[in-house]
Amino acid sequence: MSDTNPNPAPDSTPQSPAAPVAAAPAKPAAPAKPISRGDFLWAGWSMLAAFFAASAAAGARFMFPNVIYEPSQKFNAGQASGYDLGVSTKWLNEQRVWIVRTPSGFYAMWARCTHLGCTPNWWGDQNRFKCPCHGSNYTLDGDVIAGPAPMPLWRTKVELAPTGDLIVDKAVLENKPGKREHAPYFANYASA
Amino acid sequence: MSYRKAFIVSNALVLAAFVWAFAKDFYAPWRPYQAKYYQMAADELDKQAAAEKDEKKSADLKVAAKKMRRSPMEIKQIISVDLGRFDRCVTCHVGMDEYTNTTLKNNFTEHPYKAHPKVDTALIKAHPFNKFGCTSCHSGQGLATTVEAAHGWVKHWEKPMLKGVTIQGSCVKCHDNFETLKGAEVAAQGKKLFNKHGCQGCHAINGKGGVVSVELGDIADKPFERIAGYNFKKVRIDGKELPNEHHDSHWNLQNWIRAHIVNDPAVVTPNDPFAHYNSEPIPPSGMPDFTKEIGKDEAEAIVAYLSGLTKEEIIPYRYHVTAPPAKEPQLSGAANGKRVYEKYGCQGCHGLEAKQGRRRFNAAGDGQKEYDEKMPEAEQLEQMNLGAEPTLPKLVGTYTKDELIHKIEAGVPAADAKKWSPKGPMPMVYMPAWKGKISKQELEDLATWLISIGVKDDSGF
Amino acid sequence: MPTLDIEKIKKEVIDSQLWRSVFRGGVWKDTPRDRAGHIIGNVWLHLHPVKVRPRALEWLYTWGMGGISFALYLILTLTGVALMFYYRPTIGLAYRDIKDLEFAVTLGMFLRNAHRWAAQAMVVAVIAHMVRVFLTGAYKKPREFNWGIGVLLLTLTLFLSFTGYLLPWDQLAIWAVTVGTNMAGATPVLGNEGPLGSLVGMRINNDVRFTLLGGTMVGENTLLRFYVMHCVAVPLVVGILLILHFWRIRKDSFSAAPYVANEEKVDVWPHLVKREYIAAAATVLFIMVWSILQNAPLEAIANPNVTTNPSKAPWYFVGLQELLVYFDPWIAGVVMPGLIIVGLIAIPYIDTNPKGVGYYAWKERPFANTLFMLGVVMWFALIYIGYALRGPNYAWYWPWESWFMVKPAPPPTWSVFGPKGEGAYSMLIGIPLMGAVTAAWMLLPKLIQKELDGKKTMGAFLGALAVVAGIGMAMGKMGPIEGAFLLFFTGASFYYGFVLPQRHIRTLDWPRYLVTMVLVVSTMSVLLKMCARLAFNIKYVLTIPSISMNF
Repeated sequence: MSDTNPNPAPDSTPQSPAAPVAAAPAKPAAPAKPISRGDFLWAGWSMLAAFFAASAAAGARFMFPNVIYEPSQKFNAGQASGYDLGVSTKWLNEQRVWIVRTPSGFYAMWARCTHLGCTPNWWGDQNRFKCPCHGSNYTLDGDVIAGPAPMPLWRTKVELAPTGDLIVDKAVLENKPGKREHAPYFANYASA
Repeated sequence: MSYRKAFIVSNALVLAAFVWAFAKDFYAPWRPYQAKYYQMAADELDKQAAAEKDEKKSADLKVAAKKMRRSPMEIKQIISVDLGRFDRCVTCHVGMDEYTNTTLKNNFTEHPYKAHPKVDTALIKAHPFNKFGCTSCHSGQGLATTVEAAHGWVKHWEKPMLKGVTIQGSCVKCHDNFETLKGAEVAAQGKKLFNKHGCQGCHAINGKGGVVSVELGDIADKPFERIAGYNFKKVRIDGKELPNEHHDSHWNLQNWIRAHIVNDPAVVTPNDPFAHYNSEPIPPSGMPDFTKEIGKDEAEAIVAYLSGLTKEEIIPYRYHVTAPPAKEPQLSGAANGKRVYEKYGCQGCHGLEAKQGRRRFNAAGDGQKEYDEKMPEAEQLEQMNLGAEPTLPKLVGTYTKDELIHKIEAGVPAADAKKWSPKGPMPMVYMPAWKGKISKQELEDLATWLISIGVKDDSGF
Repeated sequence: MPTLDIEKIKKEVIDSQLWRSVFRGGVWKDTPRDRAGHIIGNVWLHLHPVKVRPRALEWLYTWGMGGISFALYLILTLTGVALMFYYRPTIGLAYRDIKDLEFAVTLGMFLRNAHRWAAQAMVVAVIAHMVRVFLTGAYKKPREFNWGIGVLLLTLTLFLSFTGYLLPWDQLAIWAVTVGTNMAGATPVLGNEGPLGSLVGMRINNDVRFTLLGGTMVGENTLLRFYVMHCVAVPLVVGILLILHFWRIRKDSFSAAPYVANEEKVDVWPHLVKREYIAAAATVLFIMVWSILQNAPLEAIANPNVTTNPSKAPWYFVGLQELLVYFDPWIAGVVMPGLIIVGLIAIPYIDTNPKGVGYYAWKERPFANTLFMLGVVMWFALIYIGYALRGPNYAWYWPWESWFMVKPAPPPTWSVFGPKGEGAYSMLIGIPLMGAVTAAWMLLPKLIQKELDGKKTMGAFLGALAVVAGIGMAMGKMGPIEGAFLLFFTGASFYYGFVLPQRHIRTLDWPRYLVTMVLVVSTMSVLLKMCARLAFNIKYVLTIPSISMNF
């Protein structure tokens, strides 16, 4: 197809009605480099693939809830300096934990016998926890000495806040020896 | 068999199975009871119509009878939204349904046709069925529509229907003032007995009492899973073992509580005193044997009281009745001391009026034989069961008043007890430290009383 | 009264415009054309071919288990949808709704029973179907992909059963699901308790268990998620896979029977269709009668503060729970099931034996049949042990021992190789030793070029073992029972794990050989670990606590 006549003047003279085309700047003869069919399709499909991949990733993220309705099991056990060495039953009734202070720090144990779930009692003179229901005996560390309990008592997460308070979190538990003596199940607190 | 034949046979069998399934579902156990009630009530109305002289009234009664006879068969419910009760008891117990039996009274004498007793009393009038449902007081499985399941004495239903006087435990749930409440006399007596026999010396209720054994403030919520089956097998109620079949299970909380009082707890929970299964011996339950001290009716009263101690049931504000504050009697001196002795449950270990110490397994006590290693186990067990807590009158002579107060404040650790069998278990009970729990004045008076009942030593010490 | 010409009325109805618009076809005659027309003209039936090979009809050949599984799936869908009208997936209402279904809904108890029993039956039927397909070699080329889809369907069937189990919200539900999801928490890398998990920052509130539960413990969110997965998401996926599965069966000529020249094919209508009908009717009848006679169990309402003792997974998972006695959760709960699934899918690709396709070939496929059936038997043996022989505190209770009997505490366990204080011997010896033994076991069968005499080799091995056991007994280290355990389990492991591979698969190419040996050695490790634990109280053969890896 022949190019239209470049006509510098925008208004064409009525002498040549065969060329009513308005003036336009010169168009390039052809595009610089046409995109190949293969590249075009590749670009198109890869965008679709990217969409699928992104949707899958978003879907995976969707499945992780951002808010959950589990009430917090944390509580403030008061000033660390207020505890004597040994076992404290201060929070036993309200929170079902014993706070134990050793010369090097604190740990807290969930007061639930690992046999059938009764609350053991602390017998200070014998230095052991004894469950009144079927007689399980635990050491100060929570290990089973006697009775039908199948595993040691659970220790909860315990940390020392900057204000000097002990924060106990019953949602995080551990009872394996080797793990339970270290953070976050043990809070260092040097005795004077 | 050819496939053609199999086609007919299988189709016929599937149809038959469907009819069978539908019939089984349709002929539910509650239908005959409801139907019979309608017939019986209609017959009554007809009888009244025949005896009625007034023409119009007679005709009305006849119409009512016809309507009753034609009543629709349906599952009836009493719903209490506040208390979360959806009770279908009235499906069978139609006499208690206010829409069928408008007066809530009838002449029938047998369950499930007879009406609810005492509907004219203040007690029932204060607890209308449509506000409270049935199970708030009677317990049981309100959602069920078969006899055993509804009454709840089945496996996996942990709140069976309360029998006899134990129903008064339900009063305790809402009424803080049950001790003076008309209609809750048995529960009130239960609480009095709980204190009289010293249970609170070892069993605290909501923090008040000793810490030697299980806290009982929420005992009615105790999940059944916490009770070991091998202990239940040893329970004997009225001398009989308790059945535990699926449809007739009597392994429930009421019977477990009952067993502690009408059986010897050391027999029900023997644990392992000779270390057969453990690395060290474990004594049986430390609870003393109350079977000779507490009678059957008294036991029921205690069970009733304890059945009402729940923390799980949410009682809405409008349903909760508070109590006026308890007044402590104003006594002084030894008389007050005796009251203090009973208030804190000392008689749980040291006996009623401190007359004789109760059992303390494997402690050295009076009347025991000399320990001999070669003694057979059964005999050793017998001897260990003779171990006892100190009999206070014999003991107090050796203490001054201040020493006595100090001893009560400090408590006595279990390890201090002299064991009868050195190889045997440590006794399960000990004297708690009462410092801070008994006031100074109370301790003074207690010591005064104890010394006053002391046995005077011949030596004039 | 004028006589009714039934035939005439029938013909008029069937030839009417109304009828023909719906059913097309008109009056059928018993001609080959119309027999074909039944199949081609019906959307539900047209997945079938018009004619089929006669082998596909034999009950003793096919067992009908695939069709029965599908029939059970349809029963489950129908009963499931019905139950959905009366069930709400919240913890306040779920248990109450189940009680309502039991006591107050017309046919509620029956529907619930049918749903549960059909689910149990479907797990059994699907496994039986898999065994049949394996034994008839119907997974071999070109049917490998369909076998893989079948394995996925098996997994999804078990997952459907697992998610459905939670919905009644009773004690069994909550604790079975707690056990199962705690295994998910032990996934390597992705689980907070799995090896390397804590190193990657996995905690209880962001690992794979968290997304399964919708929280840190089994609760309200879990119930809703499991409900959606059970009723919508997984059935959709199963539906898609079923379509694919059936289409492949059709494309692969419906039966893997060996080619017979001039084979006379048989009309599907009526020959195959009537058998399918009878199988379906029998299945429906079986489920209905079972549902009338036996009620589905329901325990006390779920209570997260009270653990049942013992707490067991549903029966089809209790085999894995039993494995937990011998292996850490990440192996027993993640690696082993993963190996089982991947291993099953891999079977068609490692099995190059052309024999045994489309018929039962016991002698022609000794290795394949023996090892597969060994796996199936072990799976059910573990289920039996976990279900019937484990009582309170998961202690061993013989069938005649009451679960109320008190058992002594179990003897202390020990580890063979580990760091100081944990293992009897140093792990610096243990790791290379275990590595060398495993490598030798994996490679030797192929490297020994000559076929070993089975009897002689076994005899020699058992003899050597007996000597070892004898020395052990003489030294007082073990008794006769332990010796018997040693001989039985180690002997079995040697036979199935060394002798059989040596005799039958040493001619495979290296990739296939290695994959097969990985699967074989893993299976034998279960036998060996069971012996180690039950007879010798060995907890770990090798323990590396610092990275939470214990074997």
